[in-house]
Amino acid sequence: MQYIVDQLINGICQGAIYALMAIGYSVVAGITGMVTFTHGEVMMIGAFAAYYSFLLAGNNIFLGLLFYFGASWLLGVAVYKICYEKFLNSPRHISLICTVGFSMVVKNLAQICFGANRKPMLNIIDNRVFTLGPVTINLLQIVILTVVVVLAVLLSLYMSKTRGGIALRAVSQEKTAAYMVGINVKRTAMIGNCIGCGIGGVAGMLMAIYYQTCYATMGSMLSMKAFSSSILGGMTDTRLSALGGLCIGIIENFGISFSSASFRDAFAFCFLILVLIIRPQGFAVKKGARP
Amino acid sequence: MLKIDNLSVRYGHVEALRDISLEVKEHEIVTLIGSNGAGKTTTLMAISSLAAKDGGRIEFAGTDITNLSPEKVVHLGLAHVPEGRRIFPSLTVYENLLMGTLGNKKLTKAQITELVDTQFALFPRLSERCSQVGGSLSGGEQQMLAVARGLMMNPQMVMLDEPSLGLAPIIVEEIFELILKIRAMGKTVLLIEQNASMALSIADRGYVIANGRVLLSGTGDDLLNNEDVKKAYLGV
Repeated sequence: MQYIVDQLINGICQGAIYALMAIGYSVVAGITGMVTFTHGEVMMIGAFAAYYSFLLAGNNIFLGLLFYFGASWLLGVAVYKICYEKFLNSPRHISLICTVGFSMVVKNLAQICFGANRKPMLNIIDNRVFTLGPVTINLLQIVILTVVVVLAVLLSLYMSKTRGGIALRAVSQEKTAAYMVGINVKRTAMIGNCIGCGIGGVAGMLMAIYYQTCYATMGSMLSMKAFSSSILGGMTDTRLSALGGLCIGIIENFGISFSSASFRDAFAFCFLILVLIIRPQGFAVKKGARP
Repeated sequence: MLKIDNLSVRYGHVEALRDISLEVKEHEIVTLIGSNGAGKTTTLMAISSLAAKDGGRIEFAGTDITNLSPEKVVHLGLAHVPEGRRIFPSLTVYENLLMGTLGNKKLTKAQITELVDTQFALFPRLSERCSQVGGSLSGGEQQMLAVARGLMMNPQMVMLDEPSLGLAPIIVEEIFELILKIRAMGKTVLLIEQNASMALSIADRGYVIANGRVLLSGTGDDLLNNEDVKKAYLGV
């Protein structure tokens, strides 16, 4: 029983990070209207920015948070300018291939600049353990859950309450009409892309802190997980994507606790395939759609 | 207010508009009529900078808007209500209206509330559905929402692209009454319609467009009584 509860908490924690990656992913996919393959590299850059900020500036998680958000934001601007802006009206596969190429360039540049070895992440959070009845949870897990929940709530408030957020949703739904009501579509899409990338960067750094390691090729598997989670949520719905991420995290952790840790990814993707066979549209329910 | 000189637009090799010149004066209702594919919608898209121009010059309220970006044209006070409604389907009616105000940066909060009330007075149906998502409205309601969204920026001029498209006859009449109301609010209207007889009957002036050129122009009554127009567009 104790074991199952522990695994559940591990799973929720891992799932929360996946959820954050998926939220970032679905923001990007929703705003640009295209699938992106650079999200893993954005997360990797976030993780490395965290690594260097802890190394150079000490264990200040808030200073660090700003630093990686900034680094991923800048990468987001680069992705947007290179992969999307010129191709907003072109066939979708052009910018898709462009993001694949861009991700390879970033990955290999990272190997050159940061080295190909795994870097040990500094332990910036005390390893304190809290026990609440059958539940044991450590401080790191609490920090991760808090960061994820706070970011998700902030994003959801921004999207539903501010004019800027509603404009982002407007652009993602109907670009031509967005031009006609006087929205600067290119700039709004860039901001949306950067918000998604910034969230992805934070997810990357949480991942690196959780596993206490970061390396230049960590992005590829992470981007597959983010992609799967947001497919489960129907690609563009941030809330359902977050749910998808949470499910994948929990399934993974239960899976490996009954078999071996090397099957981690197999469990995640089998779950995805199973869900898609039963419900091809993911968890999403299309409501209010009218041709 | 709006002056177009020798505007040409091509889509690849296809010539969509050729040397179109037209003028809309302040407080007028001007209508463009013509058959499918004549270039009416393209004209509006070119005015809004959403179609690339091949030549010509467009001036709005004394400013040359030929090479302005789409959002800057809107910021000058020119609202475009697009063909096929194009409302934001998963935003609520209220959010859709709120988006309409982004085109006018000078609006204050109080003015926005007042504008929302004005739209709800014009379209009581929309106030009933204030918190419903746009995509769940009926076709006629969506069209009302599209027009209301255009009016939310308190524009000097409104361009309406086939507002009666696919609507029941009784709602079409409502829409035409609405266009007269918009003019009464001191705005200028440029109207595109397939329903030529109704459009000409409320318009001050009209232009007949065919194959990307202006074929005829004149006052609404003149065109209504013109033999060629009668034959080609009014089905008489």
